Amino acid sequence: MYLILLPILFPILAGFAILVFPKEPDRRLLTATAGTCLVITGALVLCTLLSASQELMLFHLTETLPIYFKIDETGITFSFLTVIVFICAGFFSFAYMKHEQNEKRYYGFYLMAFGVLNALCFAGNLITFYLFFELLTLSSFPLVLHTGSKEAIMAGLKYLFYSLCGAYASLFGIYFLYHNCDTLTFTAGGVLKASAASAEGRFFLLIAFVMILGFGVKAGMVPMHAWLPTAHPVAPAPASATLSAVIVKAGVLALIRVVYYIIGPDFLRGSWVQTAWLTLSLTTVFLGSMLAYREPVLKKRLAYSTVSQLSYILFGLAVMNKEAFTGGLLHVLAHGFIKGTLFLIAGAIIYTTGKTRVDELRGIGKEMPLTMWCYTIVSLGLIGIPPTGGFISKWYLATGGLAGDIGIFRYLGPAILLLSALLTAGYLLPLTIQGFFPGADYDYTSLHRQEPCHLMTIPIVLLTVLSVLIGLFPNIVVAYLTNFVSTLL
Amino acid sequence: MIICIILLPLIAGILVPLLPFHKRWYKELFLEGAVILNSILVWYLLLHHSESTFLLAHFTGDLNISFRVDGMSMIFAGLVSGLWPFATLYAFEYMTKEEHENTFFLFYTMTYGVTLGIAFAANLLTMYFFYELLTLVTVPLVMHTLTREAILASRKYLYYSLGGAAFAFIGLIMIIVYGNSTDFILGGVLNLAKVGDKTNILLFIYVMAFMGFGVKAAVCPFNSWLPQAGVAPTPVTALLHAVAVVKSGAFAIIRLTYYSFGTDFLRGTWAQTTVMIVVMFTIVYGCSRALKETHIKRRLAYSTISNLSYILFGAVIMTPLGLMGAITHLVFHAVMKISSFFCAGAIMHQTDKRYIHELNGLGYRMPWVFTVFTLSSLALMGVPGLSGFISKWNLAEAAVDSNNPLAYAGIACLLVSALLTAIYMLSIVVRAFFPGKDFDDSAVQNVHDPNWKMLLPLCVFTAFIILFGIHSQPIVNFFYRVAAGIY
Repeated sequence: MYLILLPILFPILAGFAILVFPKEPDRRLLTATAGTCLVITGALVLCTLLSASQELMLFHLTETLPIYFKIDETGITFSFLTVIVFICAGFFSFAYMKHEQNEKRYYGFYLMAFGVLNALCFAGNLITFYLFFELLTLSSFPLVLHTGSKEAIMAGLKYLFYSLCGAYASLFGIYFLYHNCDTLTFTAGGVLKASAASAEGRFFLLIAFVMILGFGVKAGMVPMHAWLPTAHPVAPAPASATLSAVIVKAGVLALIRVVYYIIGPDFLRGSWVQTAWLTLSLTTVFLGSMLAYREPVLKKRLAYSTVSQLSYILFGLAVMNKEAFTGGLLHVLAHGFIKGTLFLIAGAIIYTTGKTRVDELRGIGKEMPLTMWCYTIVSLGLIGIPPTGGFISKWYLATGGLAGDIGIFRYLGPAILLLSALLTAGYLLPLTIQGFFPGADYDYTSLHRQEPCHLMTIPIVLLTVLSVLIGLFPNIVVAYLTNFVSTLL
Repeated sequence: MIICIILLPLIAGILVPLLPFHKRWYKELFLEGAVILNSILVWYLLLHHSESTFLLAHFTGDLNISFRVDGMSMIFAGLVSGLWPFATLYAFEYMTKEEHENTFFLFYTMTYGVTLGIAFAANLLTMYFFYELLTLVTVPLVMHTLTREAILASRKYLYYSLGGAAFAFIGLIMIIVYGNSTDFILGGVLNLAKVGDKTNILLFIYVMAFMGFGVKAAVCPFNSWLPQAGVAPTPVTALLHAVAVVKSGAFAIIRLTYYSFGTDFLRGTWAQTTVMIVVMFTIVYGCSRALKETHIKRRLAYSTISNLSYILFGAVIMTPLGLMGAITHLVFHAVMKISSFFCAGAIMHQTDKRYIHELNGLGYRMPWVFTVFTLSSLALMGVPGLSGFISKWNLAEAAVDSNNPLAYAGIACLLVSALLTAIYMLSIVVRAFFPGKDFDDSAVQNVHDPNWKMLLPLCVFTAFIILFGIHSQPIVNFFYRVAAGIY
């Protein structure tokens, strides 16, 4: 019964122990410890997901605020993504962090963030979720400011304060929901009292909107997306990978929990909140792609791309029908694997060549062929070319949008998704083209192979393979998701 | 018994300069012994109290000085007596670097008795008497360093407090004239037959008295004395200007609102709206000023201003739940703020640094102090699992429950303030722990954590911050019973 606590407490305590360890330990010892902890945590999560006991009432903060964990399908989906990306990026860090300082601090907070994310996936009610949502911000901002440059520290603080701002906006809603729900336990279809929904409907729509905006901060939704392109590029590459692939997804998870499990999609469907949410998410999709297209620095370009891609997911959630919701969850996985890979590749490039701007990277494909092949494959995936994961998820999102009862957005939504896919090709593929076809005037004599070490390439290849597998054999995942979505919606 | 409790610290305080202590630790032992003994007596009294009123002196009519133990006084006295021994212990270490130690401990210990007098006062007149006395015994503490700045600060403190008390006195007169008695009775003592058509005048007087007592609770626009009074030694700032004195103001307002005027009389009137707007403004104002402040103690003082108005916000919701929220924050904030002030004091004591931009990289040199500071910052922000979350939760739930749209706006103020709190507290934490890569470690090479006399109080308070955060049921239930009038 208490098994569910292990994947949460073990990494948090291990991370804490690493943090308070009095002196900077030997590098090999540190990486060995951190690696062992990551693997053990991964195993613990798997055990928990497979075990029979799926819920735990831990204790009560006050009489009516329980800390309660429960594993459901949404949690499993996110937790699956978390484990894979955290372990891959973790092993990547063992090589990458060689050229950074304070590794002890990095691994400490990395493990803590891992544990907190597991808790977030397993949280069974809104209070528990909120607790770990705050802890996630607190344990991940040291990763952002890790390098310690003035710029990094300011970016870390920006991330911290944007996230807290969002969390407090949502807390405003939680105060009112607590009073007008029978329970804050996540229940499919929502728990808002019918009396409150009818008597003070307009007020609760406002509350719902405030909460969507609040949790949307973490998911990089316009107008509170500005932290994301600041924070991602300054963090060490593996940290950006986890940020972009998993941690921002906590915002998505929060929106799923609030909209589908607390307020209830029936209450929001057809209201101005849905319209506003669709508008905001589509604006973000377009804006993010556009900004990425104009951005010369690779990691920053990827960060803008994350802004855009996350709002694909939010669009799927905002449509509020089965196909679009399935598409959203599929895109959570596909984007998680793809963007994780892309950031790791950006890290590998920085680590081996020290270059950050796309236009400096001519001929990189000749120098690091394996890495750049992976880059090309996952880029195609993000654009949405079959048979990769991105195609499946975008297919579901678009058909969901077309089938949705959402007025003009029925056509506008898929159109913007397509336009953004075009832009995605426009900002990702130039690197491939320049990398593999540097042009006739390229000086081939100075070229030398500098593929990064195995600790870097293996995680990259692994994530690439996963992102392709999802596209090649989508049926298992799709069957699993549609099966549970049909019970939810 | 009650008299004994109030007199013991007064006498012990007076004895400090008179007795010939050959060694410093004799004096420490004497003072600590007296304070601990008194705290034990207070707790004994709280656990075995009777309902009867103790009459000390009788003036004309039904004016008298008398004491009684009821729910509110149990909370306030329990809080003060819990904190005082630790604060005294801390002061021993802190005062090694200051002069005029005897004078300091004289007034510091006497304040304990006077604060208990406020807590146990059975009627408005008694409370008013001790309230004035509190001003008088604490002025020398603010003046302690005798610099020009300190003298100006203490003068300002004196004038503000006495002026405020004068306004409060008008409220007292009105209660004498229009009330059945001046005793504290939950629900109020106003005699509506006597009031007749003078409702508006009484409401006006209430607002005046609120602002009068509000001077000590630092409501806008009467708050500028509090940051200035930060020139006092840190034990004073921490215990008096974050707990005893300022919370006496909040305590007095709770007495005035719930036990004298009565919430039935006030709820829904323009008076409630007025004071609520003032309080909401103060919440945001205090935080914004804290943000601008670069002196660490003054920043915490502005944070206190904001948090005191959290308490008052709960109080002016004027429902039992509101009172419960106010009490929760009164107690929890005391623990959080005293521990952050003690951290600030420890930093000043160990490093002589006073400004936030000087704190770079100290986190690794003083790990205990900064860990405690981080935890109390997180608690003040209201991170779940720490005590601040519970008290904000209670306040916000009371506001939601009141169905008062203005109170809804108040919740928004609380959250804006929480964000600002995060900014002004965490920027200190980040500086201390993440000084940046071009930071020169050799500048703070000799800095280290203070000794056990300073660390013990910090650890105990932190333990309570966590305990109240994750297991608040028993104490919050008790608060609820007090607010509902069962005690």
